Amino acid sequence: MTSQLSATAQDTGHRARTTHADGRGGPPRRTSHRPARRLAGGLGTALLGLGTLLFVLPFLFTVVTSLRTAADVARSPLGIPHSFTLKNFSDAFSQIHYGPSTLNTLLITGLSCVCITVLGALAGYPLARITAGWSTAVYRLFILGTSIPVFVVVAPLYLLMRDMNLLDTYAGVVLIYTAINLPLAVFFYTSFIRSVPADLEEAAALDGCGAFRTFFVVILPLLRPVTSTLLTFVALQIWNDLLVPLVFLQDPGKRTVMVNAYSFIDPHTVQPTTLFPAALLGVLPLLVIFVFFQRQVVAGMSAGAVKS
Amino acid sequence: MFHRRRATMAAFLLPAIAVYSVFTLYPLVRGVYLSFTDSLGGPVANFVGLDQYQAMADDPAVSAALWHTVLYAVVVVVAQNGLGLLFASMLFRRPRVRKVLNVVLLTPTLISPVMAAFIWSYLFAPTGGLNALLGTAGLGSLQHVWLGDPHTALYAVAAVNVWMFTGYSCAIFLAGYMSLPTELLEAAALDGASGWRRFRSIEWPLLAPALTVNVTLSLIGSLKVFEFPLVLTNGGPAGATDTLTLLVYRNIFGGGKFALGVALSVLLLVTVVVLSSATNSLLRLRERRV
Repeated sequence: MTSQLSATAQDTGHRARTTHADGRGGPPRRTSHRPARRLAGGLGTALLGLGTLLFVLPFLFTVVTSLRTAADVARSPLGIPHSFTLKNFSDAFSQIHYGPSTLNTLLITGLSCVCITVLGALAGYPLARITAGWSTAVYRLFILGTSIPVFVVVAPLYLLMRDMNLLDTYAGVVLIYTAINLPLAVFFYTSFIRSVPADLEEAAALDGCGAFRTFFVVILPLLRPVTSTLLTFVALQIWNDLLVPLVFLQDPGKRTVMVNAYSFIDPHTVQPTTLFPAALLGVLPLLVIFVFFQRQVVAGMSAGAVKS
Repeated sequence: MFHRRRATMAAFLLPAIAVYSVFTLYPLVRGVYLSFTDSLGGPVANFVGLDQYQAMADDPAVSAALWHTVLYAVVVVVAQNGLGLLFASMLFRRPRVRKVLNVVLLTPTLISPVMAAFIWSYLFAPTGGLNALLGTAGLGSLQHVWLGDPHTALYAVAAVNVWMFTGYSCAIFLAGYMSLPTELLEAAALDGASGWRRFRSIEWPLLAPALTVNVTLSLIGSLKVFEFPLVLTNGGPAGATDTLTLLVYRNIFGGGKFALGVALSVLLLVTVVVLSSATNSLLRLRERRV
């Protein structure tokens, strides 16, 4: 793990911006236009379309079914819809306490993202600029954390939270998410800052700018692209997570969307007209974000992926 | 002046180190220690040596769960990356639809595992979507109680995982494709190399870094899978989909066997570290040979 991550470290951050710039690259044009090849190409495109359709079909089916009445679905699950209703959504809305739980999830996700960004960027700066034995060791220690599953620390964390009186608090959950995601953030920021020439900082230092001001005036503005990449990834993980809030937030008033959906809806006895709207409500905020920030999300999800 | 500057810079590290040490490193060390005790989660914890590990070795449910976890990971890694590569190579050859289809394929990735499990628990239900589809298509003989049959349950759960993350694998492979040297591909095309030939001799070896990343990510992700088996089957039928994570969760939060659960979580850590670093070294070796 360590070797893999450090090998990609050099180019992760700044690559993220350019990897998916459109129109670049692509296969060479075909040199021949024989009909057989054209036919094969057309067939391939059709297959590709079909394959993609198969992948989105469950999703489309979910949307359509959630807008039908239960009786209509029971009569013919795959048939042409004869009814249209939003009642399923309003039922699911109240069943999983959607309003309050969405606010809780937003709060937790937002606060965690802020902490991860601030601590990660602050740590990335010295780790990228100080070349000493100890700073490499600290960096390695952080990278180690990228391969520790939460499951491995969940039990001792529970005891720790209990002893610190942080069970059932937003602060506890935010601290856990911050700790879990810091390794990734440190990795992102360190490798990004390393790729930026130190000239600007040296000039700032000669002008009498202290380390603190240099960080805020020179470094911080450069970190925007890498931060948006990091945050799309991290926010997605936190929003969708079940384990941490399930274990550490038992107070019904503080539960997140995923925990409420998991505890109030039994997938084995419930109708699709209840399951599907609940599933869609849980995804809705992310889908909205995806539509608006599509480019960053795609870049964010494939960031750190490929070294040249 | 520069010396003081460095000291200030080093101080920037402190908050991150503090949070990371208290909430990750310390629990990690304490977890390993607790696995050698008879702790019930309370203040009392007597050192019992390897007793918990002995109990694990004697329990057929544990070896079954370990086997399910590894099998699940192998199925997911192979299927997800195979499909992802297939999609990526087809998308690469079709620049006009590339971007749109890539985004479409990524949509399932956004869904939370809990929500994906909701959708699929209906699709897999005895009278659910998949069986209805098979019936309509005249393939009634293929209808199956997908999650109720111990022989198919684990694969059905893995299929949901593959469905969700194939778009992710595809995006990573596609990014790899975009970094291939165009001249090489052009030369091969001019020399009249067939599509398969070009894939086999040029694209596949040059995609080695993308493959390494994809395999490592999907391997770690599938070894620590939790939500899919929890929501879809909760380990059933007859323990056929019990994974290490489910055993950890059940023992720690409800089984009354706290220390055993902790020992199981150490087993999970060892499994993840051993398998991922072995695979990673193999793939790195392969990259260097290319």
